[in-house]
Amino acid sequence: MHEMALMGDILKIIGEDVQKRNFSKVEKIELIVGEVSNAMPDALEMALEIYKTQSIPFLDKNTKLVIINEEAKARCCVCESEYIPEKRLSVCPTCCIPSGELISGETFKVYSYEGS
Amino acid sequence: MKITLNEDVLADNNSAAAFLRDEFIKSKTLVINLMSSPGAGKTTLLERTIQELANDYKIGVIEGDLATEIDADRIRAAGARAVQINTNGGCHLDARMVAKTIPNFNLEEIDILFIENVGNLVCPSGYDLGQKHKVAILSVPEGNDKIPKYPVMFRRTELVLLNKIDLLPYLNFDVDTAIKDLKGINPHSKLMNISATTGEGVEAWVSWIKEAYETR
Ligand SMILES: Nc1nc2c(ncn2[C@@H]2O[C@H](COP(=O)(O)OP(=O)(O)O)[C@@H](O)[C@H]2O)c(=O)[nH]1
Ligand SMILES: [Mg+2]
Ligand SMILES: [Zn+2]
Repeated sequence: MHEMALMGDILKIIGEDVQKRNFSKVEKIELIVGEVSNAMPDALEMALEIYKTQSIPFLDKNTKLVIINEEAKARCCVCESEYIPEKRLSVCPTCCIPSGELISGETFKVYSYEGS
Repeated sequence: MKITLNEDVLADNNSAAAFLRDEFIKSKTLVINLMSSPGAGKTTLLERTIQELANDYKIGVIEGDLATEIDADRIRAAGARAVQINTNGGCHLDARMVAKTIPNFNLEEIDILFIENVGNLVCPSGYDLGQKHKVAILSVPEGNDKIPKYPVMFRRTELVLLNKIDLLPYLNFDVDTAIKDLKGINPHSKLMNISATTGEGVEAWVSWIKEAYETR
């Protein structure tokens, strides 16, 4: 759903840099997508495929999308252990109370691209 | 050539939101971003809330909607200034859209500005609109599974209004489970039971707004 809008933002960020450097082509786009960032890797792939049909000058059908997954991790503020959160993000599996804070998994970044 | 950018995808939105936040602070306007599924009762609750507050506060509403002006008309009928944003199919409001509507208001004259986001429990949660408070509405007919299914929304809101509690006797929604699920995702969030149609619980919501106004 909103992956179309997000991919639009991604292409805008890359497009500005591409223009600055006078590149004409982007071969590869690398994103960091956290597991709890609310962006779905499959939908991002699909959105890029759609943008490829919309004659964006620096995209062609071979532009590759690489998604680096950032695992969700949380730390309990009671026992200080780190854990992989399940659906109930804040519940520490050791203490069994909502004492955890997410420490990773929310990132959503354009990490890099390959241009020429 | 590989170019490392390491840039936040929502950076543009976040800077527009920061601009809005400054404007809202300057004009001393309390801004509340209301989010829910379609039909959870955002507009109905706003109509009632405006009636409760209209004597003491100047109220503005930004109505996010896919295509129509129906909700904005309902809000105007309730007595508040309303501006419609049609997203033309877009599933959320972003800070730039909100910034464009601001010239339609005289912010200095608006005490409380509500933003009715597009009905959707996924996309709106990621977009900062410069608001002071994010509030989610969940309604009883949607069922208990919505809190665990949309953790990002419930993690990023500080208050959940459980609406349509007049329907609790007819449906198998369990309020204690909802509270437990919510605390499990966001221990800082609160659940408040209301019915926008019967008015039950609305008083507590209105007091919450008044307190938020005092500490804006
Ligand atoms: N039974 C009941 N129905 C409600 C309540 N609040 C809203 N509704 C109904 O739910 C429907 C959708 O409400 P609306 O305010 O348009 O939802 P929105 O899409 O979130 O703005 C309407 O038919 C309302 O009358 C409530 O507290 N109890
Ligand atoms: Mg509505
Ligand atoms: Zn613990």
